[in-house]
Amino acid sequence: MLKISQLRANVAGRNILKGVDLEVHAGEVHAIMGPNGSGKSTLVQVLAGREDYEITGGSVVFDGADLLAMPAEQRARHGLFLGFQYPVEIPGVNNAYLLKAALNAKRKAAGLPEVDAYEFLSLIKAKMKFMGMDESFLSRGVNEGFSGGEKKRNEILQMLVLEPKLALLDETDSGLDIDALKVVAKGVNSLRAADRSIVLVTHYQRLLDYVEPDRVHVFADGRILKSGDKSLALELEARGYDWLREGRVA
Amino acid sequence: MSAARDKDAALRSFEAAWHARPEDRIAATRADAMRRFLALGLPSPRDESWRHTNLRALASRPFADAEPASSTRTSWLAGVCADPIALVNGRPSPTALGRTGDPALSIETLRASIDRDPASLAARLASIGDAESERWALLNRALFVDGLHVRIAGRVAAPLLIVHCAETSRDDAAVHSRVLVDVAAGAEATIIEHHLGGSGRATLVNHATQLHLAPGASVEHYRVFSGDARTTQFDALEITQAADSRCRQFTVALGGALLRANLSGRLDAPGAEHDSYSLLVGHGARQVDCVNAIVHAASRTTSRQTARALAAGTSRVIFNSRVLVEAGTAGAASNQSSRGLLLSPTAEIDARPQLEILADDVKCAHGATTGRLDPNMLFYLLARGIDRAAAQTLLIYAFLDDLLTGMSIPGARRAIEEALIEELPGADLLRAYR
Repeated sequence: MLKISQLRANVAGRNILKGVDLEVHAGEVHAIMGPNGSGKSTLVQVLAGREDYEITGGSVVFDGADLLAMPAEQRARHGLFLGFQYPVEIPGVNNAYLLKAALNAKRKAAGLPEVDAYEFLSLIKAKMKFMGMDESFLSRGVNEGFSGGEKKRNEILQMLVLEPKLALLDETDSGLDIDALKVVAKGVNSLRAADRSIVLVTHYQRLLDYVEPDRVHVFADGRILKSGDKSLALELEARGYDWLREGRVA
Repeated sequence: MSAARDKDAALRSFEAAWHARPEDRIAATRADAMRRFLALGLPSPRDESWRHTNLRALASRPFADAEPASSTRTSWLAGVCADPIALVNGRPSPTALGRTGDPALSIETLRASIDRDPASLAARLASIGDAESERWALLNRALFVDGLHVRIAGRVAAPLLIVHCAETSRDDAAVHSRVLVDVAAGAEATIIEHHLGGSGRATLVNHATQLHLAPGASVEHYRVFSGDARTTQFDALEITQAADSRCRQFTVALGGALLRANLSGRLDAPGAEHDSYSLLVGHGARQVDCVNAIVHAASRTTSRQTARALAAGTSRVIFNSRVLVEAGTAGAASNQSSRGLLLSPTAEIDARPQLEILADDVKCAHGATTGRLDPNMLFYLLARGIDRAAAQTLLIYAFLDDLLTGMSIPGARRAIEEALIEELPGADLLRAYR
């Protein structure tokens, strides 16, 4: 599904990604953990196509295609979804429109006709109910005046509507209370499928209690330092990150 | 010296037009205005409020009055009103007058009104054009050929649409017209003035509207400019408000080579409320220069000014707003919010809110920001698969949302949105969005 080889990237002239290697197979859930400033968010933003980040080396193959050759909008239509760490507020563009436009963009790329208005509304209402969201969300501006938790739920809602092949969730768990975390986890779990992959970027083990990863990676200093199964997450929770950075990697 | 190189050619031609005019019953006030106009001359960048708009090219062109004409052009706002009134080259079309089946609404030509009551009309017409920045209104007072006098005596439910257009086959035609609107105590109306400008000729349009709201009156007024790329338009709008009156004013600049739109508002008695919204769109090589001046002359008066400016191509958009809170006006409140969005590296937006407070116990705020499309917003939309042009258009549209949603006449709003969309890239997408 996703194969990253020796990916390097600069942000504002600073080298942030220093040779990332990662392979995610279809049906897998991976967790990327790591200390602040290690480059985790940069990695997912680069994968989603953020233009002001400069790629200086490496390659990324996504579902058989050269990901880095595609502009951001094409990556999304090809089935990549980024759940933002800080979803931006866009007053004046309403949620329903954004969802519909995004869904239609994807359908168009797949050679499908635009979604029927009635069909869209019933789809969206069902998904919102599943996420415990009020219907008034639809007519509000994108993330406008949403609490931190509402913004994260909205990201998951978009993901459920778009049904991506690969979902990159950037600290979707941060700032959530335990109930919201459960709802978000429920959303993520509902999307687990044999033909879909999910990459969770997180600081804490907590989310992984609800969404069980197949693989856990420790990200530090712009690369993956160590990979393992879910027990690695528990070890990190107990020991922190320093033992890895001090070169005592087994 | 040839006319083309005569830097005062315009001024001389206006003076010649003035001498050629037959005297009417307000000759004294016209003469006074012309004398003052000639003494001041055309505005130059040395005049504070004309710093950004250079009229040198215009000053060297002679102008002649546009002849009476008829027009087959229609306003895209015509859907809001069963029978719009057309002013072609400043003259009302005769069929449009005396129309109104509504007893609360009476409309006559300005000439007819002047002939009936020259003394009070002369005083009324003179109130606009005293300030240095209102020089074109002075010239307008001297030279307007005709216009309308609208009286609103009660609640008029249907919007009144006045369509201004210039029809001429010459490149030196000038149109001077004036509209007076008197809204009686407690009366309510919506008045829409649509300026279509010239049609393919280098036309100068110099219009003035005076709107007076008696105590408790309520008015929503629109002036919409959609002139072609050869139209130069000067527009002066004066609004005077008595106690507890409410005015919502929309200035929508979508067209014209050069548009200078002045708004001069005066809140004369307690409880008067004024909201003005300016939607200023610059593209191509156009220049839009909007100057608002609001005077709080009584206590418990409120004004809010909201401006949204867009500039693409090599266009330039200027928004100057000034609020003066006079001494002894306790409880006055004013707010000025101006936001600009630059759509090209060669476009320019100058926004300058000014505030002069001579009273205590007042609440005044102002803010102005100008920038480009937010890259984080753009990336968010792209990351959802929306194509770039569409995402940009959507963000532009969202930027104007506050202003459009303030329009309470759905038909007017839809028509203005449609015209606005025509000026933006990705028109089809935006239509789907609505």
